[in-house]
Amino acid sequence: MPDSAREFFSAVFLVIGAFFYLAGTVGLLRFPDVYTRLHALTKADNLGLGFLVLGLAVQAESLAAALKLLLIWPLTLAASATVGYLIARRARALGISPWLRPEDR
Amino acid sequence: MRVAPVLRRTLAFALLWWVLVEGSSVSWGIGLASVGLATFASLRLWPPAHWRISYAGVAAFAGWFLLESAKGAVQVAALAFQRRPDLAPRIIEISLALPAGAATVLIVNVLNLLPGTMCTDVEGKILRVHVLDGRLPVVEEVRAAEARIARMLGVTQ
Repeated sequence: MPDSAREFFSAVFLVIGAFFYLAGTVGLLRFPDVYTRLHALTKADNLGLGFLVLGLAVQAESLAAALKLLLIWPLTLAASATVGYLIARRARALGISPWLRPEDR
Repeated sequence: MRVAPVLRRTLAFALLWWVLVEGSSVSWGIGLASVGLATFASLRLWPPAHWRISYAGVAAFAGWFLLESAKGAVQVAALAFQRRPDLAPRIIEISLALPAGAATVLIVNVLNLLPGTMCTDVEGKILRVHVLDGRLPVVEEVRAAEARIARMLGVTQ
């Protein structure tokens, strides 16, 4: 791939990645309780990271370096899914009740 | 012990080492030792005949999972930017058909990345899931995820 095409795809992926990170953070700040905030972080940031490593892998100097970057993604997915579960379980154990819509209360 | 699984795993760990050192040939001494130890550990911890995982099954699962987790991210992003996030959370209880152990751990982790579901605890066979939008058919989605995991791992539900 010529360098200009590489840089173009890299930039597109990085911008998409940044958008999902932003969305995850906005969700973290705006959602009403610990459970809904966990949804925001685990889901949005994971796709953000996927696009981020994809954008960096396109620029990598060797195939091995690109694969190494891409390897970060599934490992982080597994860690964030497990940490999300641990935080949610702890919140339940502490008796934190989930936020409900006024009409569901 | 059959030779094929040992060879396959040695090759997989060698590939992993090659990726980790970014293709450099300087540290293959440590690399060979690490590959040997990793293969030995994996054969001890996860004997070859334990599960009948098919590569086609894993690939199909990975494709479905990628698509679903992207949907989850888009859903959350859309909610985050709404003027008033249209959330209708609730906690549902689902009785799992998957066997306890690795299959249960896998579904808990998978559900946390799928659209609108976050597991809060597992008690025996009962799985409690926090749902972002209780108006959606979440139980069916959990059942579908369960069936896919069962198919990939070759376990009977």
